[in-house]
Amino acid sequence: MTEDIPIPDTDSGSGNDVEPQKWVRTPPIDIFETEAGLVLRADLPGVSSENLELQVQDNRLTLFGRVTPTDIEGAVLMHQEYQQGDFLRSFILSDDVDHDRISARMTNGVLEVTLPKVSRTQPRKISIQTD
Amino acid sequence: MPIFRWGSALDAFRDLEREVDRWVRGVDIVFENPRFGQPFPSLNLYEIGDEYLITAELPGCAAEDLDLSVANGIVTIRGTRIAPGEIPEEHYRRSERSSGNWERAISVPERIDDDQIRAELTDGLLKLSLPKAPSAMRKQIHIAGGKSATKEIGQQENQDD
Repeated sequence: MTEDIPIPDTDSGSGNDVEPQKWVRTPPIDIFETEAGLVLRADLPGVSSENLELQVQDNRLTLFGRVTPTDIEGAVLMHQEYQQGDFLRSFILSDDVDHDRISARMTNGVLEVTLPKVSRTQPRKISIQTD
Repeated sequence: MPIFRWGSALDAFRDLEREVDRWVRGVDIVFENPRFGQPFPSLNLYEIGDEYLITAELPGCAAEDLDLSVANGIVTIRGTRIAPGEIPEEHYRRSERSSGNWERAISVPERIDDDQIRAELTDGLLKLSLPKAPSAMRKQIHIAGGKSATKEIGQQENQDD
């Protein structure tokens, strides 16, 4: 089985620190194998299903989750452990994944993408002709 | 020509400080990815007028998985993430999400009104509103207009209201 190499987009996050509101974060993920294929889970706290974009293009699966910022008037940040920002990560899918049957669902801020294996037909014997 | 002048010595220091700040922030970005020693869950604390707001990132947590309690100004949140052993370890290709039991205790800077705490969990994001206790809030003290002592003695009999 070919490896699927998750490639976090490097053009995000770094760069201008002029706008701290525009943070893009790389969500942590799990990928595990099942009988039917692969399952990918990503932590996207604060992202609702309607704010999530998932797309497959040229073997690349991209997930983008928009976080609605909790901007409250007059709020003073006293302690910070995480930056508010949207989630972005993309992956290269192996050829084994059936692109047409990819399905996804969101539960409590966790995205689960099911990547089914391409169902292989029975091996066909090719008769070799001799000249 | 002098390189440092007394007048600009502090400016140079400020530049250095800014440079170090930028560098440290760069390191933060690097270390955010492997989640290097980050406590779970990550939380932010805000002060909004007469209330504190704690937001915690709890992806995968349902309200019934959470245990919230407060005592002596310390808010404790505990729960379980991803039951270990749900998926056999050898099936994992990649494992970055944290799992297992977790607990965090947050001491709130001021006294809070324990009965008025509100909690809301949406899409794996917990919002905990902690109103300050009335005693912790700044109170305006009314100063009664003083009357001179001699007058008061005379008025005491007919001022029974």
